[in-house]
Amino acid sequence: MTHLLNRWRKRLRALVHTSAVDRELDEELAFHLEMETQKYVREGFTPEDARRKARLAFGAPRQYKAETRNARWLSWVPGMMMDLRLGGRMLRKYPGLTIVGGLAMAFGIWFGTLTFEMVRLVVFPSLPLPGGDRIVQLRLWDTEANQSEPRALHDYMIWRQSARSIDDIGAFSDATRNVFADDGEARPVAVAEVTASAFRIAPEKPLLGRVLTEADEAPGAPPVVVIGYGLWHNRFTSREDIIGRSIRIGGGFATVVGVMPEGYAFPVAHELWMPFRPDVADLSPREGPAITVFGRLAPGVSLDAARAELASLGRRETAELPQTHAHLVTQVKPYARMFMEPRPQDMWLMLSIPLFAVMLLGLVCSNVALLMFARAATRESELVVRSALGASRRRIVAQLFAEALVLGGVAAAIGLAAANFAINQWGKRYLAENMSPLPFWYDPHISVTTVLYALGLTVLGAAIAGVLPGMKATKGLGTRLRNGTAGAGLRFGGIWTAVIVAQVAITAAFPVVTYIEQRELWRAEAYDVGFPSERYLAVAVAMDAGTDGATADTARNVKYATALEEMRRRLLDEPGVSGVTFVDRLPRTEHRYRLAELEDPTRIAAAGAESLAVSRDSLRWVSEATIDPNYFDVLESPPLAGRAFNSGDVSSNAPVLIVDEVFVKQVLHGRNAIGQRVRFVPRSTSKTKSPEAPSAWYEIVGVAKELGITSVTSRNRDPGIYFPADLGRSGPMYMAVHVKGDPLSFVPRVRAVAAAVDPALRLAELQRLNEVTNGVLWFLQLWIRITLGLTAMALLLSLAGIYAVMSFTVARRTREIGIRVALGASARAMVLSIFRKPLTQVSIGVALGSVLAGLVMLTEMGGGTISVTGLGLMLVYGLVILGVCLMACVVPTRRALSVEPMEALRVE
Amino acid sequence: MASSQSDVLRGTLDLLILKALSLEPMHGWAIAQRLEQLSRDALRVGQGSLYPALQRLEERGWVDSEWRATDQGRRAKYYELTRVGRRALGDEVASWHGYVDMVEAILRST
Repeated sequence: MTHLLNRWRKRLRALVHTSAVDRELDEELAFHLEMETQKYVREGFTPEDARRKARLAFGAPRQYKAETRNARWLSWVPGMMMDLRLGGRMLRKYPGLTIVGGLAMAFGIWFGTLTFEMVRLVVFPSLPLPGGDRIVQLRLWDTEANQSEPRALHDYMIWRQSARSIDDIGAFSDATRNVFADDGEARPVAVAEVTASAFRIAPEKPLLGRVLTEADEAPGAPPVVVIGYGLWHNRFTSREDIIGRSIRIGGGFATVVGVMPEGYAFPVAHELWMPFRPDVADLSPREGPAITVFGRLAPGVSLDAARAELASLGRRETAELPQTHAHLVTQVKPYARMFMEPRPQDMWLMLSIPLFAVMLLGLVCSNVALLMFARAATRESELVVRSALGASRRRIVAQLFAEALVLGGVAAAIGLAAANFAINQWGKRYLAENMSPLPFWYDPHISVTTVLYALGLTVLGAAIAGVLPGMKATKGLGTRLRNGTAGAGLRFGGIWTAVIVAQVAITAAFPVVTYIEQRELWRAEAYDVGFPSERYLAVAVAMDAGTDGATADTARNVKYATALEEMRRRLLDEPGVSGVTFVDRLPRTEHRYRLAELEDPTRIAAAGAESLAVSRDSLRWVSEATIDPNYFDVLESPPLAGRAFNSGDVSSNAPVLIVDEVFVKQVLHGRNAIGQRVRFVPRSTSKTKSPEAPSAWYEIVGVAKELGITSVTSRNRDPGIYFPADLGRSGPMYMAVHVKGDPLSFVPRVRAVAAAVDPALRLAELQRLNEVTNGVLWFLQLWIRITLGLTAMALLLSLAGIYAVMSFTVARRTREIGIRVALGASARAMVLSIFRKPLTQVSIGVALGSVLAGLVMLTEMGGGTISVTGLGLMLVYGLVILGVCLMACVVPTRRALSVEPMEALRVE
Repeated sequence: MASSQSDVLRGTLDLLILKALSLEPMHGWAIAQRLEQLSRDALRVGQGSLYPALQRLEERGWVDSEWRATDQGRRAKYYELTRVGRRALGDEVASWHGYVDMVEAILRST
């Protein structure tokens, strides 16, 4: 053991303290020489002769030293270090290549890292908990409906009693509740009614007090809660005496017994934990609240074994309860995959994203290789000399690799920093917009794995950008050295030409995509809702289910309706409020759709029957909203024809509706709408099932302005219809408050009024009515930025490629240019001759790109024709690309024309 | 062909150095002298092969080195056989004999 340690100590010493070890070698060789000299003295030589003879016998110590060094462990490292230092010097010497190549590689690494991290999160999510990979979710799956059955209280009890392969089985149900802070203000909070086992599955020492225990779950136990750090810090001013205090949650009170540390959010994204106390009445099969069941695989038990046991328990249930459990199977799956589980066929799609990123990096680095190759061509004499001095081909290629590695290292640092920025700036928001709330284990960050992956990408990139041009530039170096034809031996192959042409084409086509996206954004931003929406405060109003959990639906509906009316009454008393109304979907957002059929009197007359079969041809998809009768009044958009709703419309036996002007235009083709009748046809889900009967006929009583009933992302305005809302029965509503001044300054008052009206009222999404779709706009902007980034990168790469080809051509043709100038060729003829090749390449690229862009425009814009402006823009852009690419030729061309004939001949 | 020849020689030199060191720890010059002496002046080990070979053997863990004073009080680097090196010497000797027997057998048959 000590021997092994000693050996490694020596190896490391040789690597780190190279000069000290070299000095020792010098000393050892000097000792050898001295001993040899003494031997000759002993044999009778004079000291001087002895020394000379010894030295002669000794030979060249420099060579021995080199050989001895080469025999050391990792002997190539010091050489590599020198190459890397040289690479660093080359970065400074060729700033153009450094900037362009570095940016390009940084982009490739940035993209690769970002996609890797995001795909890793989705495909291989992991719980950041001790033994997180052994935590599982147990669920019922309805094979007939092809969806999970969340009412699993009955089964949960059985699993908890019988399952041997899973420990600490627990459950939680989700709720959002109003939590009142010290100032009396209520805010909705994500609450988990959870079993005490959760704190064993996700063990964490509470910051203050204790966690929930089994005793808290006993019927009749005093109501207690554990709160999260954020809640404690933001709403209860981090007060230490919170433990033991009673806080108001919705309509009830509970005593705080613990505060969890920052970041604790088990089971999903919760901030407050209450004991799980299911009602005994809910224990019947497929009854009770929606719950999620979790547990931990027992020691030594595999996931498959647990699946087998639970499946057999499930089969037993199916046999005992055929009415409810005939189509239910029991599933066990990793807890981290609760929300997203890519299907096997999608896995490949997911994994193909990083693969695409690697290919993109390959393409990017091929371009950098092009630049490196062009530079190697200008440095060819240096390579030839080095080769002549004994440097092997491997050594020269290694040096070019080291240069690319230094460049890649700088690029990796930039790429990783940019990826970190992008993840924090956009990635988290992107995930949060797609998954609300974001489970705690979806936490994108640059992990050690990600850094290692980025380093792998860097080495790969450096290999492409350094080794390929190195191999190509050093091929036949010896022959070239003998023939004295430096430069002439190097050629740019057809592949490079194709790569450049393809890049120019992509560069030319990309802006069309950007233009289309930008147009969408402009359209979304300019979306006119027909009323000054910025003067309205929008609020989502919901109501807690009640802490007792037993409030009947009808009673709750009445309570909700009363609360809304009372809120309206009190808000109207507030200064500056000129109107309050309710609607189920806010203008600009996505609405519900229905299939509407317009009554056709001629057909009915012909058939002579009211219950005429639905005529599928006359059906139209219409967008719907359910509104409070005063909606148009508060929005200051009185009906264009007919009347608005009145309170009688809700309870009337003759159903009525109001259509908007788009409906009149598109469905009625401008005819008078008032008095016409419309009915709705349920969308038939399956052809085999007989479609349900259509609804009753609704009479159109009014025509409204187009008031944003279509989503901002939709290209065309859809026909809209409005139903009168029966507050309480029409589901949770949005409230729109028309206020004087900035609507946001009115938020505290709205909260205070809501809290005073009913503590169970939950307010959310408080914002200006014109800002409700900011999330969608943000997405569009993000996509535009990404496309712009890609366009810039494609342009940069094209420029780099063309520059490389040009400077290489000039370097290779120096002698030819010199001779032609000497023979009297005009500068113009020379420029033309140099420009011919890149000009052709760029022109082909632009032409291909234009065709591509035209195709994209035709399919995307759907109009069938391209406008003259669009065509003009494309033409101008094509010319700009052509011009910019030709700019890349300026420096090499000037270099070519400044070649002195005699100089050119002498160089060669 | 040239490279394979030098490989044989290199392998042989390693074996000879191990053999020289099996008697007692010694410094580089002494190893060269010992080999010269044992071969009755037939083998002159050049420093160009000796020191890289010692480095290689040390890297392989077969010999260990240490700086210490000679009898004349001069500082020198002494090499000695490790336990692994001693085992390796046995293997190398056996393999050498096998090699010699094989060559011998071929030469005799023709």
